[in-house]
Amino acid sequence: MAEAIWSTDTGEAVYRSRDPVRNLRLRVHLQRITSSNYLHCQPAAQLGKDLIDLATFRPHPTASGHRPEEKEEEEVVIGWQEKLFSQFEVDLYQNEAACQNPLDHQYRHEILKLEDSGGRKNRRIFTYTDSDRYTNLEEHCQKMTTAASEMPSFLVERMANVRRRRQDKRGMEGGILKSRVVTWEPSEEFIRNNHVINTPLQTMYIMADLGPYGKLGYKKHEHVLCTLKVDSNGVITVKPDFTGSKGPYRIETEGEKQELWKYTIDNVSSLAQPEEEEREQRVFKDLYGRHKEYLNSLVGTDFEMTVPGALRLFVNGEVVSAQGYEYDNLYVHFFVELPTSSPRSLPRCEILWGHICLRPPWSLSCYSLLSSLTLSSCLLDNVAYFSYPFTFEASFLHEDESVGALPEWPVLYCEVLSLDFWQRYRVEGYGAVVLPATPGSHTLTVSTWRPLELSPVAELRRFFIGGSLELEDLSYVWIPGTFKGERLSRFGLRTETTGSVTFRLHCLQQSRAFMESSSLRKRMRNVLDRLEGFSQQSSIHNVLEAFRRARRRMQEARESLPQDLVSPSETSVS
Amino acid sequence: MAEVHVIGQIMGATGFSESSLFCKWGVHTGAAWKLLSGVREGQTQVDTPQIGDMAYWSHPIDLHFATKGLQGWPRLHLQVWSQDSFGRCQLAGYGFCHVPSSPGTHQLDCPTWRPLGSWREQLARAFVGGGPQLLHGDAIYSGADRYRLHTTSGGTVHLELSLLLRHFDRYGVEC
Repeated sequence: MAEAIWSTDTGEAVYRSRDPVRNLRLRVHLQRITSSNYLHCQPAAQLGKDLIDLATFRPHPTASGHRPEEKEEEEVVIGWQEKLFSQFEVDLYQNEAACQNPLDHQYRHEILKLEDSGGRKNRRIFTYTDSDRYTNLEEHCQKMTTAASEMPSFLVERMANVRRRRQDKRGMEGGILKSRVVTWEPSEEFIRNNHVINTPLQTMYIMADLGPYGKLGYKKHEHVLCTLKVDSNGVITVKPDFTGSKGPYRIETEGEKQELWKYTIDNVSSLAQPEEEEREQRVFKDLYGRHKEYLNSLVGTDFEMTVPGALRLFVNGEVVSAQGYEYDNLYVHFFVELPTSSPRSLPRCEILWGHICLRPPWSLSCYSLLSSLTLSSCLLDNVAYFSYPFTFEASFLHEDESVGALPEWPVLYCEVLSLDFWQRYRVEGYGAVVLPATPGSHTLTVSTWRPLELSPVAELRRFFIGGSLELEDLSYVWIPGTFKGERLSRFGLRTETTGSVTFRLHCLQQSRAFMESSSLRKRMRNVLDRLEGFSQQSSIHNVLEAFRRARRRMQEARESLPQDLVSPSETSVS
Repeated sequence: MAEVHVIGQIMGATGFSESSLFCKWGVHTGAAWKLLSGVREGQTQVDTPQIGDMAYWSHPIDLHFATKGLQGWPRLHLQVWSQDSFGRCQLAGYGFCHVPSSPGTHQLDCPTWRPLGSWREQLARAFVGGGPQLLHGDAIYSGADRYRLHTTSGGTVHLELSLLLRHFDRYGVEC
């Protein structure tokens, strides 16, 4: 039987856990590969009683150096930051002179205690915890490339300094209201802490001493099996990843005897009890539910509704700018006209609420402020900004049920005039545009024209004295109110194109019909779900699953019973 | 009731002739609106552009409204001021912008204007500084008395606002 394939993927894996990291437990199994245990893989227990136990044929330890099996295989369960001493450390710390700081003394104390109580449990596998010298050195001098002259860079020095001061746990303090926002003279420590972004990490190395048997305790035989990094947010980085279903990892030692070792890492942390998890989830659900209820109570449930059968158009808009005009000091006169009823029985529109002033019967008009052409350097063409807000609401009642009648949408008329130093005004342009029929944000540009007369006298008059041709009825710009018949002819009117006016409109529409359609859509979706039998299928699946489970339980119960009970017919017969 | 979230930032301003600029902003809503969370008004820092024309503020706006009706949709009004080396503040422009009503991210350019005084006041403003200001700040966002004003344009304030609407479809509002 072939061994599981080696896993060569030693990349790291990142896990997230909400539980405190002290519950983390890892099991590391280390074994040396020899020819005997490479081929020998079936344990003797499974053979039948009649056959010779293969265990008797196993090679005995000889003097040539084959080691007994126990020394070549080791399995340890390690907790987070659990310190397991290596042979090197045991030898080192027994010597009092080698202890330099309180940590070393503590290790010495522990080692002596261990020796008194019968030696340590682990042989080859040991760990370096966060506070060991190895951790700091490793981080500082870790080489990333094969360059011989790789030195730690400036950033590495800074990061190392910050990490070494891990004792002061600085949380994420985002003090919003600080009295002094800027630190004018930062100290060295301040720079070190704040200029390098670093979440405090805790590291742990699981190592193995792979020296030849009997010669444990040399630093050169130490190899890293696994690196664990945990930060304060519950992110656990394991390099290499847990073996799980992958094959074991292997290490080849260098030296005279190139030996092959394989090891596996498994996560054996105990899981939370299901009752505890349920309780936790219930607490969270309660908390969030209560917060949601509180927010809902603030918001309330009433909303202003329209009359059934009405469509309400709500427009927030602004007159943004006017550009391309001859003269300076422009002002815009604009209004919105709603189509009125006529003998052709078009639907009627009503204004419910107007902003500035109403001119009967159904229009809404506003005046805007005066503005001069901008003189700032950045604008190349002549643009005058008004930035004038207006808002109005119009309601459309669909009274008669005639099918072919489409609602006529309101029209926005605008008239641009200029006022000069001597308070004379000239008409600069007329324009009109239909309000957009779809809700949303729209930027409309209305191009304008002004009427001309044939003779040049009118133009001279306009230039010198002021005053110009005006339209009597502004609705002539779009469809005149007095229009009857089928064809609109503007033949005979001479005009000249002038500039354009920009409006920005945000339109909203409200109607009960939209409500019904959306709720209808939701109801239809539920019906479709039921029709597809999705829920039916899942219930059938549940029943089948329950049946299979019961059958399995019955079979197991049958097997466990003694033979004579299972076949009652034979015993009864006999 | 329906809810509106306005999340965005006041990016900065371009086109002003003065350089050290800051902006005072506020949101005005109608009576049917209630502010659930967020600050309704604020003031940015003073920014002096080193290269180029745009003064960047990147000032966050994060508001949560609940509303009973569509009237009084929130409007954002801005006042851009400049601060000189002596610490005096001078008006650079008033601006106004409706908060958009369709959900999504909107880039808004809000042009500003400031009142012009007589030619004497304009001359004084060019040399010494100062200048007329509005007596009542609400003239920025209401249009009633605007026709009395004679103004000139200032620069443009750039905003980026994202809008989230909630429960509007329950009441038949299409946006």
